[in-house]
Amino acid sequence: MRRIQSLLTPSSAAFRANDAHNRRLVREFRDRQEAARHLRPQRDLDRLARQGKMLPRERVARLLDPGTPFLELSSLAANMAYGGESPSASTIVGIGIVSGREVIVRSDDPTVKGGAWYPLSIKKSVRALDIAIENRLPVIHLCDSAGGFLQLQSELFPDRHMAGRIFRNQSQLSKMGVKQLALVFGHCTAGGAYIPALSDYNVIVRGTGAVFLGGPPLVRAATGEDVGVEELGGADMHTSVSGVCDYPAETEIEAIHIGREIVAQWDRPRKWDCQREPVEPPAYDPEELYGILPDDIKRQFDMREIIARVVDGSRFHEYQPDYGRTLVCGFANIWGYKVGVLANNGVLFNDSSLKGAHFIELCNQNATPLVFLQNITGYMVGREYERRGITKDGAKMIMAQACSRVPKFTVMCNGSFGAGNYGMCGRAFDARFLFAWPNHQIGVMGGDQAANTLAEVKLNQMKRNGESVDQAEIDRVWGETRKAYQEQLSAYFSTSQLWDDGILDPVDTRNALGVAISASLNAPLPEPGYGVFRF
Amino acid sequence: MGFSITLDGAAHEVEILELRPRLKLRIDGRAYTVTGEQQEEDGRHRLEIDGRPVSFARVHVGARQALRIDGRTFEAVLVDPRDEADAAAAGHDHVRAPMPGAVIQVHKRVGEPVSRGETLLTIESMKLQMALAAPRDGVLAELKRGVGETFDKDEIVAELEPLDRAGD
Repeated sequence: MRRIQSLLTPSSAAFRANDAHNRRLVREFRDRQEAARHLRPQRDLDRLARQGKMLPRERVARLLDPGTPFLELSSLAANMAYGGESPSASTIVGIGIVSGREVIVRSDDPTVKGGAWYPLSIKKSVRALDIAIENRLPVIHLCDSAGGFLQLQSELFPDRHMAGRIFRNQSQLSKMGVKQLALVFGHCTAGGAYIPALSDYNVIVRGTGAVFLGGPPLVRAATGEDVGVEELGGADMHTSVSGVCDYPAETEIEAIHIGREIVAQWDRPRKWDCQREPVEPPAYDPEELYGILPDDIKRQFDMREIIARVVDGSRFHEYQPDYGRTLVCGFANIWGYKVGVLANNGVLFNDSSLKGAHFIELCNQNATPLVFLQNITGYMVGREYERRGITKDGAKMIMAQACSRVPKFTVMCNGSFGAGNYGMCGRAFDARFLFAWPNHQIGVMGGDQAANTLAEVKLNQMKRNGESVDQAEIDRVWGETRKAYQEQLSAYFSTSQLWDDGILDPVDTRNALGVAISASLNAPLPEPGYGVFRF
Repeated sequence: MGFSITLDGAAHEVEILELRPRLKLRIDGRAYTVTGEQQEEDGRHRLEIDGRPVSFARVHVGARQALRIDGRTFEAVLVDPRDEADAAAAGHDHVRAPMPGAVIQVHKRVGEPVSRGETLLTIESMKLQMALAAPRDGVLAELKRGVGETFDKDEIVAELEPLDRAGD
């Protein structure tokens, strides 16, 4: 495959301005991530130390094989919710290697409100288990949670994808033969008790670990029975009397050791045979990505420059290079894995949509995973394009993409607006993993357009009510609407709501995709099949 | 099967005539027979070309090979015919609009020399700004649309001409 010929001029003023802008964005992202991971009130850290507990990230670090990569997912979940009091949604999720097996780790975070589950903690855990189901990844739960955050119970308990979904997903995983291990470091109360109970294996730490449907206060209130934690649901009771837990451990370290030994007994998955080539780093420096991404979301850039800094050897076999040019399609390798790349170089027209649909079909027939690089303002509008059936051609692309059998991966490289988000495998379309860059913005339309629309509606209302409207008032309404809307467009808002699997430093994209593709190959590849194209 | 290789920059046409029982090649019109290929423990390769023994060492990095023969090092690179095609096709002088829209900024004046990849015009379409770059080195011969003027998809908005023809 041929190397992409970069046309960048790193000495240009535009490149340097972009570079400074994006390095600033990445620094801000790193700072926020660092705070979410490690910044906690001293009293919470002291409490854990008094209980003889390790910090949750220490537990994860001790569990993983030394020197192996760990891809943390959604590290900034809930960063714009609950007044910021639930960093990472009080849950650590990531893909790593334990005893030589690829697993997904889901850990409670007892440094925040005793590890209580906020609504977004549950969304994050459900997503982690969805990832386990979609990719057949074994799960290791590190349990230490006070249970659901009662003040917000209506947002975390009753609905289809709320707390019950965790246990439904655990059951489905077991049915599929995907293994689960729970290490009980702290309390597993109420629903949380089902996490170790629905795992194939579990280990419980003496003195600090406990599993019960109702803790001592609830039991006292319900039946008047006066019972202590150890007697009610401690390690000895569960491992020698009830059989709810399998292995007692003296210390957290011993529990981790037993857990690692359990994982070492598991059979190794047989991955499907994705086409592979020898690995080659990109020929162009990935740090140049900072100089490509514009400091203004409206400014377009050539996605080939991005591809050249993500794929092996910067080599790219471009498919239909002269047709439907606003959608760049082609084959490349990432960490040796053959992938089909679809990347936006402008608005989707009829021809680019058809090209996309066709290329997706080719990849499905050829068992080639798909990577979508989004920078999309939507499908083309206007009389001519409606008459040519732009919606019909967009529907073909969406159909081909939605019914793909091969694993899909999406990276939000810049804007993601309107229906283009759908065609390019947005969150609703089951990308195995979806990552975003710090500059990412997402919404049904861009900030200026939304402000224009909303401000016009509001001003018409004011006019109807007989209120006087001058230019200053118009500007004020527009500015306010723009600001409120803009905040919701940001990558931080998106990742706070778990509309993605986390923000990435663009430079880390190749590594993240490598881990993601490798994980995805654990699930068997279904036969190709399609819905009906409306030609 | 034929391909071309550059050896220290000079191009050579190579054609494989036969693989078995022995390798026969035609290089720049002359046929050669290669026999007795073997690799020594020290990593050196030995073979005979038309009966004449040759010993060499080689390493390759991507599409480049470094060969060491008789104390001299040569660099051989497999030429991708698409690169040659690109070089030949670099003659296209039209700058077409990839989307319907309007010009919002003009970066070069007619008659100004431009190099490949340099921005000529910035256009806006569907609230998206796009830089239209020069497809080759040359001189900006004509700007068909000025600031504020609109155009359709695939319309030619600027023309280049070769550097040497400028001013004729």
